[in-house]
Amino acid sequence: MSLLFRNRSVEKGASNRGRLPWWRRAVMVPVHHVQQAVASLGEMWRNPFASLMTMAVLGLSLTLPSSLYVLVKNTSSITDSWQQASEITLFLKKELKTSEIETFKTQTSLSDNVESVRWVPKDEGLEQFKEQSGFGETLDYLSNNPLPDVLVVIPAENYRAAEQAEALLLEFQNKREVAHAKLDIEWLNRLQAILDLIEDTLGALALVLCLSVVLIVGNTIRLNILSKRDEIVIMKLVGATNAFIQRPFLYTGAWYGFIGGIFAWVVTLLLIWWIESAVLTVTNLYDSQFQLDGLTFGELIAIWVIAIGLGLTGSYLAVRRHIQSIEPE
Amino acid sequence: MIRFEQVSKTYPGGHQALSHVDFHVKPGEMAFLTGHSGAGKSTLLKLISLMERPTAGRVLINGHDLRKIKPSQVPYVRRDIGMIFQDHRLLMDKTVFDNVALPLIIEGYSVQEARKRVLAALEKVGLADKVKHYPQMLSGGEQQRVGIARAIVTKPPLLLADEPTGNLDPKLSMEIIRLFEEFNKVGVAVLIATHDLGLIARLRYRTLTLKDGRMINDGLEDNEL
Repeated sequence: MSLLFRNRSVEKGASNRGRLPWWRRAVMVPVHHVQQAVASLGEMWRNPFASLMTMAVLGLSLTLPSSLYVLVKNTSSITDSWQQASEITLFLKKELKTSEIETFKTQTSLSDNVESVRWVPKDEGLEQFKEQSGFGETLDYLSNNPLPDVLVVIPAENYRAAEQAEALLLEFQNKREVAHAKLDIEWLNRLQAILDLIEDTLGALALVLCLSVVLIVGNTIRLNILSKRDEIVIMKLVGATNAFIQRPFLYTGAWYGFIGGIFAWVVTLLLIWWIESAVLTVTNLYDSQFQLDGLTFGELIAIWVIAIGLGLTGSYLAVRRHIQSIEPE
Repeated sequence: MIRFEQVSKTYPGGHQALSHVDFHVKPGEMAFLTGHSGAGKSTLLKLISLMERPTAGRVLINGHDLRKIKPSQVPYVRRDIGMIFQDHRLLMDKTVFDNVALPLIIEGYSVQEARKRVLAALEKVGLADKVKHYPQMLSGGEQQRVGIARAIVTKPPLLLADEPTGNLDPKLSMEIIRLFEEFNKVGVAVLIATHDLGLIARLRYRTLTLKDGRMINDGLEDNEL
């Protein structure tokens, strides 16, 4: 493009061949991008220490939020499964006869909002109590069984959420046969609140860390730009646009994110692997089957995209501010 | 080709570098710009290459008023002007080839496409055998010729040179000037700023003289004599 000299190529004897046709230049644009991307990588390779530090900072900063994310994800999946199984325990009045209990059980199980009802006879309850409480033989000294018959009611699918289950609980509470009905939902609510708190904190923390990543990348790129001041001046003198000059720096930022993202993966996966054995020990002690969920493929890609985005943003801020201000004197 | 109309330039701080400068360099003309250091030669060249903007008056290149050039268009104007500097302004960590190819790469040529023109430009300045050298490995005169090759590789219709012979001995200086003459012969307008009066005296070209920011002689009367 020649602003001052229309048809520059034919105007001058000295320059009557070799100007590029537009389509040729259009083809060259993506080729140039690839070339410059590779060139920035090579540039980083030649000065690996500073680049590695920046990538490590970027990676580590992303590791914390992503590991916490894994933690929260797993905790909520656990509580979800508890929520799902929310059962209502009905302690029946002692004076009921077995036939009455049978009738009540059938009656309850026929209700629309109940999925299933399990009857735990008082003798069976005592056996279970003996096994699990650790009192063992001591209980044999009791002259009679103090436990009531118990019906364990699992509400229908759409009655499992806290509110509906509570309504159901009230309904059972008012039945003639029921001495006491219990739905342990309160602690679940508290747990949920704590989880929400952790999630919010995590969000804020992630935001702060991401901001710091942007600033760190921006600062590294700024130093890069300043160290190439002379080169930039020369390029401007021979007619390079700001866009042309800033492209390699933007690529450098993107590479920081690219490699920093991989760094974050590796460290997060290592952390999860490390925690997993500890978690398994804990859950084994609680006699529960639990599998720690790692990061899914989609989540890994998301971390990567975020990392590259942060690298780009940081370098864009630095580039915008500094490339314009460097002018030949 | 280059027209100055009542151009003044005052730097922030009050130093007046140019005042009411008027002149016209015709297309295909070769001219020297001379004067003591501080007379305003560099400022005048910077106004043409848009490194500075005039405080008053206007500068036209090929009839285009440079006041109308937006900052984003400045790079495109510079691509039409081949600039040569006293300190060469070469990229020291790049080879001679890469240095000369730079303006072409900026314009969107691939390295393969640029190769032929880079080699032709280096051939013209007599450095075809130094393609793979780095600037540090070259002498001052050779570095200057690399700078010239870079300036002409895009075949600009206008060449500006700021003290191109400043660091060279008379013989090398003359070689450089001969190079400019060759480009001038194929129609390129050349404006050379220099305080090397001995050099100018040996050549019969139009000479514009600046003194304390004023054009005391635009060289035209000399031609008429």
